Amino acid sequence: MAAVSLRNVRKLYSNGYSAVKDFTLDIGDGEFVVFVGPSGCGKSTTLRMIAGLEDISGGTLEIGGRLVNHLPPKARDISMVFQNYALYPHMSVRQNLAFALKLAGLAKAEVARRVEDAATILQLEPLLERKPRELSGGQRQRVALGRALVREPKVFLMDEPLSNLDAKLRVEMRASISKLHRRIGVTTIYVTHDQVEAMTMGDRIVVMKDGEIQQVATPIELYERPLNKFVGAFMGSPAMSFLAARYERGGFAGSGFTLATGKPALDRLALTEGQDVWLGIRPESLRIASEGAGNLRGIADVVEPLGAETIIGVAIGADDRLVARIGGHLDLRAGTPIELSLDATKLHVFDRTSERNLGLDCR
Amino acid sequence: MTMATPSRPDAAAPLALRARVCAELVRHRLVYLMLAPVVAYFLVFQYAPMIAAVIAFKDYNPAVGIAASPWVGFDWFRQFFDGLFFNRLIWNTLLINLYDLAFGFPAPIVLALLMNELTSQRFKRFVQTLTYLPHFISVVVIAGMMLDFLVRDGVVNDIIAAFGGRRESLLLNPDYFRRIFVGSEIWQSIGWGSIIYLASLAGINPSLYEAAKIDGANRWQQFLHITLPGLTPIIMTMLILRLGQLMTVGFEKILLLYNPVTYETADVISTYVYRRGILEANYSYAAAVGLFNSALALLLLFASNRLSRRLTGNSIW
Repeated sequence: MAAVSLRNVRKLYSNGYSAVKDFTLDIGDGEFVVFVGPSGCGKSTTLRMIAGLEDISGGTLEIGGRLVNHLPPKARDISMVFQNYALYPHMSVRQNLAFALKLAGLAKAEVARRVEDAATILQLEPLLERKPRELSGGQRQRVALGRALVREPKVFLMDEPLSNLDAKLRVEMRASISKLHRRIGVTTIYVTHDQVEAMTMGDRIVVMKDGEIQQVATPIELYERPLNKFVGAFMGSPAMSFLAARYERGGFAGSGFTLATGKPALDRLALTEGQDVWLGIRPESLRIASEGAGNLRGIADVVEPLGAETIIGVAIGADDRLVARIGGHLDLRAGTPIELSLDATKLHVFDRTSERNLGLDCR
Repeated sequence: MTMATPSRPDAAAPLALRARVCAELVRHRLVYLMLAPVVAYFLVFQYAPMIAAVIAFKDYNPAVGIAASPWVGFDWFRQFFDGLFFNRLIWNTLLINLYDLAFGFPAPIVLALLMNELTSQRFKRFVQTLTYLPHFISVVVIAGMMLDFLVRDGVVNDIIAAFGGRRESLLLNPDYFRRIFVGSEIWQSIGWGSIIYLASLAGINPSLYEAAKIDGANRWQQFLHITLPGLTPIIMTMLILRLGQLMTVGFEKILLLYNPVTYETADVISTYVYRRGILEANYSYAAAVGLFNSALALLLLFASNRLSRRLTGNSIW
């Protein structure tokens, strides 16, 4: 196990495109860190730089306190799980697992022991003599994990390892990987574009956009205290809704609504009179209110009954929309007028220009 | 009250099939239109002549036609097997093919592998153009160039003489014929032949190389464990097809390069068939030799396909 330290790491391609800009992050020994962000945000490029598959244009990368910028992948003591598994197609599962160990010149008995151990942990024993083409997607993914595991590396790198699996298998494998990490405790860097994977697996999450870190935090902190509008929108499903509003006389006024919040709720915010803001509202912050008791009114234009809860899309005025998550089943038809109450203490307020969370700026 | 009409599945099925075929032809008419010349080529030049192969068992006389010519059974085959040149023809054909198999077959593979390792795209394109060019030169021109290069005062002899060697007409020495023929074949086809391997190399998943790098494989080990196994299916397919042609030599070039002095090593089945069949107008004899050659080729194709399937799991059917 080892800590990983990235200091002002940059990736600049020869055509001038900057894929990663001043990436600075310290990953603790045994920590499970998830890089998350939309396509093209630089998360995979960063992971590949850590792996040694991409050159680092600037900055320093240390693994276990050792500068590894110019070391080849094999000298970095890392192992990687690829999105498309990258299993050697002509080798059996056993040969795939043993390949790196044989190249490293380990004794036959040691190779056999490690392969058997990995096969036991990942329940691969019955598959050891099969070729990758004879395996299902989930089995291939387990072999890919096993191949990383047998090397007993200091750092595990995983590049969207579950993207090729169906939804049900992804949930199972998510749990398996988390369990595996708890069991072996190796520092793990996991790349995904799926915020649910990030929230459920990571000790810490690094949210990226356009090659830059937007926020590094624990899953709950990220969800409850997003540093900016992008993070607020990216984390959470259904996503946070945003209403364009202006701060006026102790409340917020939008094109189709006015929201009186009360002084205690606004005390935490650094607001100035007439300031244009985005109001970020999590779906679970909204409740259905009886007529006249709510602070937001609109038309329910989408109703999605999920059994345990109901997701309602509400049109507020001409331009704004909200998504509410209401517990249990609601007998509501699309097109019905609806009144919602908002817990103002859970309101996220972002500056319209900088898009920074004003609730965090004043702390 | 309405009565149901009894159905006749036996009559309905062919009708439905015919309708489906018609609908298919109409729907994809452009595809079938493009396919038509190829089908016509195979019917006219490959399948129709098979009917005429019956003259191998007859004493064919063009004046009376195939049907009226008398049957002679296996006489022509016997004459060929007992003939003076049988051993020489079989040996020459086989040996030229084995030379080509040993040196000509791996040459495009090696070139493709070398080109795959090139990092400069400009240099790679230059090499590709340079090696593809001879493929587009007519065999007649190639043979003419070789005759010029290999004569006593040709460029090859100039080089030999420059190193203190003795000048001689290289194409008049039977010892050199096979080497010259196979060498020219390699020169002419190495670039073109490498295309299929380059395409196959491009199809190898790049993640496999990255995984191998992380696993600690160096360039040679990556070649050994990723590139070579990735190329194996196409190599085996090409090898099977090549083995199927082990008794076949493109006779045009030999015809243009050989002469009675080099018959000893240069005369192969196809050139012999040409001389006996066309020049001496002994069509039945030529057909018998040709049929024997084709049957042998078919047998070799089956055998090599079966062997490949057993040894590597790759086969063309």
